[in-house]
Amino acid sequence: MTDTLWLLLAIAAPVVTGLLTLPMPRSAMTARVVLALLGPASACGIIAGVVAQGPAPAEAVPTDVVGWVPSLYMNFSFMLDGLGTFFALLVAGIGCLIVLYARGYFGPDPDSLYRFYPTLGFFTTAMLGLVMSDYTLTTVLFWEMTSISSFLLIGWDRYDKEAVRLAMQAFFTTGLGGLGLLGGVLLLGATIDHWTWSETVLHFQYHPEQLTDPAVVGAFLLMLFGAFTKSAQVPFHYWLPGAMAAPTPVSAYLHSATMVKAGVYLIGRLMPALGSVAAVAGHAGDGGEGHSGLAGVDWWPLLIIPFGAVTMTGGAIIAINQHDLKKIFAYTTVSQLGLLMTAYGLGGLIYESHGHAMANLDLDITQIANHAFYKAPLFIIAGALGHVLSRNITELHGAFFKRPAMCITLILAGFALAGLPGSISFQAKELFLYAIVHSYQTIGTFWLILMAAAITTAACNVAIFVRLTTTVLGLPGSLGSAETATAEPDHHHAADPDEDIDESPDPHGLDHDDEEHHHEHYHDKPGSPWGWLIWLPGLIIVLPQFIGGLFPSLWMQVLGPLETNTNYFLGEHGHYDKLPSVLYAITHPGIPLMCSGIAIALGLVLGFSKAFRGVFNDPANGIYPAMYSAAVDGGRMAFQLVQTGNLRHYLVMVLMALLVGFSSAVWLDPAMLNSVAEAASKAGESWTGAVLGLIVCALAMAMPLAKERIVRVLLLGGTGMGVVSLFLVYQAPDLALTQLMVEIISVLLFVLVLRMLPRRDLRVSPHFSWRLLLAIAAGVSMGWLTLVTAGSDPTHLFHDMKLGEFFARNTYDGHELTDGRGGGGDNIVNVILVDFRGFDTFGEICVLALAALGVFTLLPGRKPKTV
Amino acid sequence: MTSRILTTAAQLIVPLALLFAAYLTIRGHNAPGGGFIGGLAFSVALILYRMSAGPKAFRRMLPVHPRVLLFAGLAIALLTGVAPLLFDLPFLTSYVRYVDIPLNEPIHFASAVFFDAGVLLVVVGAVVGMIVRLSEELEP
Amino acid sequence: MTFILAICVAVVFAVSVFLMLGKELKGVVMGVFLVSHAAHLCILAQSGSPVVEVSEVGDDHLKAPPILDHGHYHGEATGAEALATVADPLPQALILTAIVISFAVMAFLLTLVILTARNAETLDINELALEGRPTPSGAH
Repeated sequence: MTDTLWLLLAIAAPVVTGLLTLPMPRSAMTARVVLALLGPASACGIIAGVVAQGPAPAEAVPTDVVGWVPSLYMNFSFMLDGLGTFFALLVAGIGCLIVLYARGYFGPDPDSLYRFYPTLGFFTTAMLGLVMSDYTLTTVLFWEMTSISSFLLIGWDRYDKEAVRLAMQAFFTTGLGGLGLLGGVLLLGATIDHWTWSETVLHFQYHPEQLTDPAVVGAFLLMLFGAFTKSAQVPFHYWLPGAMAAPTPVSAYLHSATMVKAGVYLIGRLMPALGSVAAVAGHAGDGGEGHSGLAGVDWWPLLIIPFGAVTMTGGAIIAINQHDLKKIFAYTTVSQLGLLMTAYGLGGLIYESHGHAMANLDLDITQIANHAFYKAPLFIIAGALGHVLSRNITELHGAFFKRPAMCITLILAGFALAGLPGSISFQAKELFLYAIVHSYQTIGTFWLILMAAAITTAACNVAIFVRLTTTVLGLPGSLGSAETATAEPDHHHAADPDEDIDESPDPHGLDHDDEEHHHEHYHDKPGSPWGWLIWLPGLIIVLPQFIGGLFPSLWMQVLGPLETNTNYFLGEHGHYDKLPSVLYAITHPGIPLMCSGIAIALGLVLGFSKAFRGVFNDPANGIYPAMYSAAVDGGRMAFQLVQTGNLRHYLVMVLMALLVGFSSAVWLDPAMLNSVAEAASKAGESWTGAVLGLIVCALAMAMPLAKERIVRVLLLGGTGMGVVSLFLVYQAPDLALTQLMVEIISVLLFVLVLRMLPRRDLRVSPHFSWRLLLAIAAGVSMGWLTLVTAGSDPTHLFHDMKLGEFFARNTYDGHELTDGRGGGGDNIVNVILVDFRGFDTFGEICVLALAALGVFTLLPGRKPKTV
Repeated sequence: MTSRILTTAAQLIVPLALLFAAYLTIRGHNAPGGGFIGGLAFSVALILYRMSAGPKAFRRMLPVHPRVLLFAGLAIALLTGVAPLLFDLPFLTSYVRYVDIPLNEPIHFASAVFFDAGVLLVVVGAVVGMIVRLSEELEP
Repeated sequence: MTFILAICVAVVFAVSVFLMLGKELKGVVMGVFLVSHAAHLCILAQSGSPVVEVSEVGDDHLKAPPILDHGHYHGEATGAEALATVADPLPQALILTAIVISFAVMAFLLTLVILTARNAETLDINELALEGRPTPSGAH
């Protein structure tokens, strides 16, 4: 088996094992968990095995191509470079622990796990495919699959209308971004004619000048839109806190480590391509041309950095003003995603050190891993505490003494959230702060704004840690202690959730998305090892934070080979030759360390202060409802405008479209009018035909003038007979015969029906004049269309012959164009109908049958059986 | 709606018309005619018979509901289309061969005539069915 | 000849639009049926002139119908120039199916008109629009 097939197996494994749990008996809990665990675990193993055998991840060679839909540029080939490998292992690895956590979270409830594992497997599969695919369109496909599966997971509680609404909100927001991504990928592929990420990157490294092509810029803008919605950047971030309606295993998986990182992954994927301009500019900079102001900077960092910075700061500030643990962590996730975006944005800037220009980006994998390793445990513990006590932080006063294991994990993960020394988070934050400091070379004094935003964010994170710790330890001055409630009378209702429900049902508050309110709980027996699963996975995930933080060399040994961007921080021109240990960092202070110190001090003050303790309702929560109602109202308005219920209005609209189309065509190409004069010169070729044509015209024109309806029907039939005679002139015996029969039958039918209808005098309508005008205009344009099309010569479209000629040649015996197969008949028209265009004829008799069935159904008759 | 002239004439015309319709259908592959025309001619003949001889006689002549013809026609056409798939040929491929008959030049046979027969049945079923349905609405 | 046909298309189409814009549903159905004639003639015009191209204008020497004689053209027509003396078969094939379809559509429309007349007790388009959806009991 080739690598690609192995990897396909790895991608399919989670969903396959998930589906295999379905036929198992519901009582087989342990077997179910083991089988579900097998999927991500084997995926993990296969990916690791392929990476270990293959070339070094830094070389970024896609695996062999397995064709799927080659004509649409959708094939399977996987990219196991540092970024792809890291994300794949992260998805599969945390996926394993989430399978276990789900067992702890749902308890021995067979129904929940029965539904949960297949859906989770579907998501894991989609995510694995997304982060490994080399073909751009295949990535888009998996991207959409994550949107769909996350919709299913967020709307898990399908009887809760609010959860379903929030799931729809997440689905539409990320789905809209998915459309943007699709558009971008198509535009980019059509422009540069490469349909894999690896070729795209190579293309731009050789042709960086093309990056300023408007089509390419448009494509990247569309892709960035997709990344921003998926990775919850302001103003599209609202879906992520809303998605907290999901059960906590989902939040811990999707909204910390995987789905929301898809946008970050996309930016990381595009970095080498986008960075090409920066590299070129950097080489130009080597020649002594100094950068001043924003002149030499590419457009895209200037787009990403502001969005990222606003998201980072805004998320952190909203997070500190929340009481629901899941809401707090959701907003810190938004904040961290903003930070990652900013980091990639800063990576697009040039940094010069010791005469060398390089991208201002380092160890991006470490940044991403850092977040995953503390955010997943935080969610896990939020769910665990919510399960056994409460998710509202004000009710967790002294929780440590009731649930020590959970609270220790919470404090450890919170420590990392705060970025305090000892966790890898500290080093990651240092990296980010260094990048900001170095950005002064390109963006000038704007770096101070970025630094202020970073300090604010860090301070908020420290404050959240302080509050979590003091609350669960039951220290004075924490949230939920008596003085808080009295000190903040304005927010009194927020501290009392039960009252909150009665007073103001807040759709985005605590009460609705808290699934614990709705359901009966299943708890394992005390002391059962299954019960540990509700907190143990969190502890396992948070451990690397501290191993890495205390022993950075160990961390680099594992993740170092995956890092593709090792530029300014490490290496021979960098500040350090290896990831610094805590001791080293503290003893070698710089601006970043100073800023960290300021942030920690500010955070401590903020954490113990009584300010910012209310519940802040995110104004962005109104964006989706507003868009939704605008779409619905707009649709209703358009409907009322167009759908009047009057047949005449519809006809006028259709005819107007026809007239506008024709007149604009003439306006664009006046030469088309020449065909009129050309045809007019040949008008008198066949005098028989001319006379018959005039008869048809005369009979048709007499129709509206006739007063008696039976006369009208006869005139209609007469016109038809005129058409029959024209068919004869045109040497179409089949047509003449058919039309003759149809004419007989339809006159009969009309007479039959008219007898059934109420008699009414045919007064001339009051709108006579405009009716006539519109009719004449439509007739003239239709006649003109006939002339133009008849005057055209289509022979160049098909083997230099008219299609009719092709059919005539192959009607009896075949020729080379038909592989030697002929129709075996002499009547060309009939052979076309039953042989060449037989499929079309088959569709047509189906239409005929449907029309007849429609008549039978609409007029069922008085007798039940007509035979 | 019965007149003696019509009734008498119909006795002569209807069989001839049915014969003519059959003739039109069979020769359709090589001369003007075919399923559509044959079907319409059949329908005209049948409707003429119904008008002259009345609904009861018509029901004796065509003892099935027209929709049976409709579905039979669709089935025949579909089967003709699907059959070539068994021989690994594209949908609706026509099979053509030349048949030697004594004392005459060889005639050829194309499997597309079965398709034409399906078309004929659908046309007859639809047209006769609709007209009969509508005339039944008129009759008390 | 194409010019004559174009005039026919224009006139028939104009008349049918005039009828369709009328006040009564019966006229609308007639207009729909008439519009199919216009469409057929428009397609027919694509087959070019039915007259064999000779130098003097006013000759009524028409082309041969698109029917072969054992795989060969009648008369002198051969190969690629065949369509100069034989009528183009493709528009004819397209029209043949279109004729039958337009008949089916008309029959269906007539059925709808009958039902409308029964349920709404009016065939006036403006009244139907005011009434909104026709009710089975005929609440008008």
